[in-house]
Amino acid sequence: MASTTFMRERIERIDPRRREVLLGYLLVLPSLLLIGGVILYPLIYNVYLGFTEVPLNPDQSPVWIGLENYETLVNSDRFWEATYNTVVFTVASALLATALGLAVALLFDRAFRGRRLARGLVLLPHVTPIIAVAFAWQFMLDPLWGNLPDFLAWLGIYESDVGLLQSRDHALQMAILFDVWRNFPFAFLLFIARLQAIPQSMYEAATIDGAGRFAQFKDIILPELKGTILIAILLRFVWEFNAFEPVWLLTRNLETLPIYAYKSAFSTYNQGLGAAIAVMLFLFQLVMVAVYMRFVGEDEL
Amino acid sequence: MSELRLENVRKEFGSETAVSELSLTADGDLLVLVGPSGCGKSTTLRMIAGLEQPTDGKIFIDGEDVTRRSPSGRSIAMVFQNYALYRTMNVRKNIGYGLKHSSALSKSERIEKVEEIAEMFGISELLDREVSALSGGQKQRVALGRALVRDPDVFLLDEPLSSLDAKLRSQMRTELQRIQQELGVTTIYVTHDQKEAMTMSDRLAVMNDGELQQIGSPEATYVRPENRFVASFLGSPAMNFLDIDVERRNGHTRYLLDSHELVRVSDDTQAIDRPIQLGIRPEDLTLLDDPDDGATTGTVRHVEYQGNDSFVRLEVNGRIVTCVVPASVRPRQGDSVGLNFPPDQIHLFDMDAGDAIRSPSVDASDTRIETGPSTTEGNETDSRGANR
Amino acid sequence: MAEQRRKPSESSSLSESSASGAVHVDGLTKQYDDVVAVSDLDLHVEPGELLVLLGPSGCGKTTTLRSIAGLEHVTDGTIHFDDEDVTRQAPQRRDVAMVFQSYALYPHKTVRGNLQFPLRKTDISGTEATERVEEIAELLEMETHLDTRPAQLSGGQRQRVAVGRALVRQPHLLCMDEPLSNLDAKLRVETRSELRQLQQRLGITTIYVTHDQEEAMSIADRIAVMNDGRIEQVGTPEDVYERPANEFVASFVGDPPMNFCDPDDVQAAGIETPQSAAGSPDTIGIRPEYIYPTDSRGEPAAGDRVEVDRPSDPVVLTVELIEPVGRAYEIQLTGHGLDLVARLRTRPDDVTEGDSSEFVFDLDRLTTFNDAGEVV
Repeated sequence: MASTTFMRERIERIDPRRREVLLGYLLVLPSLLLIGGVILYPLIYNVYLGFTEVPLNPDQSPVWIGLENYETLVNSDRFWEATYNTVVFTVASALLATALGLAVALLFDRAFRGRRLARGLVLLPHVTPIIAVAFAWQFMLDPLWGNLPDFLAWLGIYESDVGLLQSRDHALQMAILFDVWRNFPFAFLLFIARLQAIPQSMYEAATIDGAGRFAQFKDIILPELKGTILIAILLRFVWEFNAFEPVWLLTRNLETLPIYAYKSAFSTYNQGLGAAIAVMLFLFQLVMVAVYMRFVGEDEL
Repeated sequence: MSELRLENVRKEFGSETAVSELSLTADGDLLVLVGPSGCGKSTTLRMIAGLEQPTDGKIFIDGEDVTRRSPSGRSIAMVFQNYALYRTMNVRKNIGYGLKHSSALSKSERIEKVEEIAEMFGISELLDREVSALSGGQKQRVALGRALVRDPDVFLLDEPLSSLDAKLRSQMRTELQRIQQELGVTTIYVTHDQKEAMTMSDRLAVMNDGELQQIGSPEATYVRPENRFVASFLGSPAMNFLDIDVERRNGHTRYLLDSHELVRVSDDTQAIDRPIQLGIRPEDLTLLDDPDDGATTGTVRHVEYQGNDSFVRLEVNGRIVTCVVPASVRPRQGDSVGLNFPPDQIHLFDMDAGDAIRSPSVDASDTRIETGPSTTEGNETDSRGANR
Repeated sequence: MAEQRRKPSESSSLSESSASGAVHVDGLTKQYDDVVAVSDLDLHVEPGELLVLLGPSGCGKTTTLRSIAGLEHVTDGTIHFDDEDVTRQAPQRRDVAMVFQSYALYPHKTVRGNLQFPLRKTDISGTEATERVEEIAELLEMETHLDTRPAQLSGGQRQRVAVGRALVRQPHLLCMDEPLSNLDAKLRVETRSELRQLQQRLGITTIYVTHDQEEAMSIADRIAVMNDGRIEQVGTPEDVYERPANEFVASFVGDPPMNFCDPDDVQAAGIETPQSAAGSPDTIGIRPEYIYPTDSRGEPAAGDRVEVDRPSDPVVLTVELIEPVGRAYEIQLTGHGLDLVARLRTRPDDVTEGDSSEFVFDLDRLTTFNDAGEVV
């Protein structure tokens, strides 16, 4: 009791402004420690692993082999194909999901009966457990029982003798389609919030000025949403590049970089190579984050 | 100069009637629509603009029926309460946007026009600024410029000054009046601020509950309100209302408050045999230092000094009566004072319907007493109250 | 002014604390980075007094109030409540209550719950707390609404509950920051006189911030007019209105504001300008209500119960505009290089827009300013 009073007196003698600054440091200290331990340590360890060959025997230490893992990667067709798949998947699904999100948000930016319920339904693809929807999609795309291949065949754009998820080309398209369907609600949410912050009177002023619907979209909505669109695309880039489960759960016939890394590390037990792939993914992410910070700034992160 | 005419315009939102059977005409003057929030004044303005479709009735500009025309097809311009400037465009583009979309002018003609209007509003230096970098007053000027650059036939303003501070507001008010007079454009101005309404308008249209209550010159409307609503809405501090009894004897009419005579008038032209309410403006009451001199006495409860005037709240027979006196008259809290009700300034209202059954004449110095609402000189009184 | 404050009645448990309640602010400075919001400000508030901080936006009035309440760390200076130095005390330990522009009531609590809330942290509880809440509700004339939720109340009633919640703890000091600005004009006029009467009845020291000079004049014991982080003048409403210290105060207080004229124009109009030992004035001010039209005998037509102390010779001016503003008429006049607004209580006879007419000034009501804008 006596010591707490003593402490209290000492604390109170410090100038209140300095007291506040000290308190501030004290409060962020735990999170700094946490970030250091939980994020930085595994990251650095992973970079280290990328320069080693990890023996199967857990009693042996990893062997330093320098850039050998990276040389193997650069010289293998498999790596380049995975990179190609990843880039196509990332760019296509990020752009399409954003575009679809924008279109649906525009559709919802007006009052109608049951809007709240409908908005909830739009979010379903994003919030349903991915394992469930992935199986549902597999079922829909199945060459025997699925209705989508039948439908596409009826339209005459698809020969239904090969499964959509079985051929590599189609698997990539389907993975993109699935991912767009799953993630457009994210963009939708960003856009609907932003759209509703545009005062109605601005459209009214434009109507009086004689601007038609398209002119209003071009001159009011797009400029107002420009920043948000950029953020949505950048964030999706970062996430899609890393995306593992939408591809892996839907089809085993498509290899992107994260899947290649996973297979290397845990199917073929070449953990050093897996780590090297992960490092390359990480470097790409760093670039994207830098671009993001450049455009958006620290405050909105 | 273009004539704007509304004929029996009605607007319903679902089961709610926002505006009912509204008819009015404006021609080259500044008409102010005033009323409390929800009275239908903004809906009326938006129907004139074409942003709302009337449920019934017709709107004419220069004799042409524009009821079904799009907003851009009726030669109107509007200034919104929050300015509604295009946030992502600079000032030049904001002002030029309407010209680009609904005029046949070439690019160079448009540039010229924008610069001309910018000069008129003193915002030439701001043309290349972003809207977000402007102060409130500057935004206001840009909004006015954007509206007037298209030479509209009818100019509509929806509470355009409400987000400015007091000093800027009175400055903008004067400027607006000047520009409106210079251009002679028919102008409809919506506000809930009765003082702004009184000072701005050539004519004042008071609305309540979707209905036009009275239309006329601000002064006539203030002096001769046609019903209790108009009487209480205009004026600060508000008019005093007292439930009184009326007694007629020997050619006199006596107005009694709790069987005590407040005032006696010699007119008895109108037989009054229904419950009535007496109204008197705080500045029309006469306050006397000696309580015995007045028709009645009151106790001073509270005095609010205003510099040029003082507001005195008196307790008279358990009722609170407000009185405005010159600041040189300084009654003190707790004083007993005398109170006179000058017969020329008495308003009488039907207790139930609220209609005026007796008003002072327009010229306050004139002792002639008229009964009932009369038509005001030079101004049409196409309101409900007059029709009854 | 002091005798206007009614002494608290003995029976009321709500008003024992009015013996103390002085606030002393000395040398208060508040700086945000390189912007000085308040500079070297001295202010002394008497116990039981209602002092209004009045000024345009950005003048530092809210910063001053927040510093006194403890919501801002002051850069320099001291704040004392009676003899106690509270400069470095946290707001919750200062015994201050604050009423904000937005009422900040708890929406899910009833009026009773809202009023009772501040008592939770005190040693007042049980029946005593109930009694106190009921007493304050009665004062506010809200006793029939005790079990209503804020959403069902009108704006004026909500503001009264907010004030009640501030008062129930019987704080040393009540701070109000533009408490009426969310109400419509009519309600504002009513509520301000209610607030004033309540404050007088409780005798609680109050600092009230507003930018509305009419509101300030109607409720204040004293007004501190602020500009640019400094106090321009402190005084009763009469002092500030009739004896302004400088041009800023003269122009800020009064509606319509004081007319400011060049002495040469005034002289050219044939009005004798006041001379002082300090030399000829730089600006002459005249309030709109001290300009009168003349009646048929050439005398000032001042109206009932208004005396013109020292009328000037009649001056011929052109009437540009007659604006009815409800209980008065504002008349724009020009001539002899002057540009004036006159305020009359009744519509003048024989005066029409566009014509010239004779007007008289009250010479005793002229205010003279030197080139620094100070009253000579």
